[in-house]
Amino acid sequence: MKILIALSLLLSLCFANAADVRLPDLSGVTDRGLKIEIYSELSPLSINQIHSWHVRVLDRNDEILELEELNIFGGMPEHDHGLPTQPEVTTRLDNGDYLLEGVRFHMQGHWQLQVELQLNGVEDTAIIDFDLQ
Amino acid sequence: MKKDLLLPLLASIALIAVVGWNYLSIPGVPDWSEEELRLIASLSLDSLPPLPLDPSNLVADDPAAAEFGHRLYFDARLSSNAQVACATCHKPELMFTDGLALAVGVGIGPMHTPSLVGLSYSPWFYWDGRKDSQWAQALAPLEAKHEHATDRVQLLRLISSDTVYRDMYENVFGPLSLPAMLPETGTPQGDAQQQANWNTLERETQTGISQFFANLGKAIAAYERKILPGGTRFDDYAAQVAAGSDDDNTLNNSEKSGLKLFIGKGQCVTCHNGPLFTNHEFHNTGVLAVGGQMPSMGRYDGVRISQKDSFNCLGKFSDASAQECIELRFARDANDLVGAMKTPTLRNISETAPYMHGGQMTDLAQVVNHYNDAPSSMLSHNEAKPLGLRIVERIQLEDFLLTLSAPLATEQKWLVAPDY
Repeated sequence: MKILIALSLLLSLCFANAADVRLPDLSGVTDRGLKIEIYSELSPLSINQIHSWHVRVLDRNDEILELEELNIFGGMPEHDHGLPTQPEVTTRLDNGDYLLEGVRFHMQGHWQLQVELQLNGVEDTAIIDFDLQ
Repeated sequence: MKKDLLLPLLASIALIAVVGWNYLSIPGVPDWSEEELRLIASLSLDSLPPLPLDPSNLVADDPAAAEFGHRLYFDARLSSNAQVACATCHKPELMFTDGLALAVGVGIGPMHTPSLVGLSYSPWFYWDGRKDSQWAQALAPLEAKHEHATDRVQLLRLISSDTVYRDMYENVFGPLSLPAMLPETGTPQGDAQQQANWNTLERETQTGISQFFANLGKAIAAYERKILPGGTRFDDYAAQVAAGSDDDNTLNNSEKSGLKLFIGKGQCVTCHNGPLFTNHEFHNTGVLAVGGQMPSMGRYDGVRISQKDSFNCLGKFSDASAQECIELRFARDANDLVGAMKTPTLRNISETAPYMHGGQMTDLAQVVNHYNDAPSSMLSHNEAKPLGLRIVERIQLEDFLLTLSAPLATEQKWLVAPDY
């Protein structure tokens, strides 16, 4: 009986964890192999609403990194223009994510983000391409 | 066949082919893909959310403020010649435009009068977005030389001396007092005399008068929030296809083909997106400068003006916390905004000619041809690319645009001047 209870508890924990796991809305890899994960407050991403992102930067062992600098720029290469806003990292959150405020997209189509960061005095960049409906 | 008939025959065939290519439409009703149905739904008024709050204006949704603003909006006494009201250029019967290329108030302005329909959804105001709230926008024309050409001191004298206005003001904003030694005119933005008069006032008095002035803007904005679009034939059709049916009574085949072009090959939906057919943002689309004017720097200048505006969201006359001024705090300032003008709504477009920021285009055919050609911009670059639409497709697109008109969803009493 105890084994059954333990097993059911274990199973329920597994399912609970599976439900809690959230995939990033956007992700990419920097030139030096760091992982960028973006979790949007507005999910799925859509146009014409200003919102914030949680940006997580991890090393190859999935350890969250503390950076000296993090900036994100974006634009639509086909239209040769940038984002309508200039988002800024305003806070480092307790879980190690960076809070990026002031994100807004104003057109559907192909967007390209440029993530620029500095770690241990070394600059690094990731390009993230995605289509927005 | 005689040789001398061959050339005319070939020429005739070529002519028929060219005319046919340009004018013959593809028969049949368009089939809608899942993506097209999603886009159609996104443009429908059914997708319009409730009016966004304006944290910078505590009376934005106060009925007494709207009544006060309604009265101010139609009152020509709010001008130097007692002939110009907000309603002079933003006429309700013309969907809150004036039918002119350039606005005419006390003088002729540099820009075309934009519609106010649904404008309360926008985070930015003016063609170049130089104002970040509807109340701050409402203030500028009152003191502009070519518009109302009055000033905040004259307005304080008017409101405090009119018992109806004084009661309405005090009911919404609290006691109104007339400072001692008040000059006849005065504003920090006016001519030399107005500025000199303004500078005779103590700093605290100046702040009090500017707060009074800001409150007038907040009341006018509370009224303007009532100006909302009504359901059109397009909206009826969007509801119909969302329910899985499609008849020929709501939109005809040409209009449906135009809709297909609007959300597809015509790329109009790229910027004219969402239920108000605008992304409320700024784009350089290669429109020629207004005749006799240098090309406008557009949003490139507008964003800087908004950041310095004493009536902006972060200023002392705003009711918002800095945290709430999210659009202004993260406003982008970059070279690709040179020459960029605000995307106007296309709702009620058939009633708001002429078009573009200087009223440069007299009809919709000209507008559609402009986007089809996508000419080079006088300043910076045209974001749009040539579309290659056939003549019949341009006509279909125009036909679709004409389906976006309907009476406003605004109570009739707001569309006429109140009894004075």
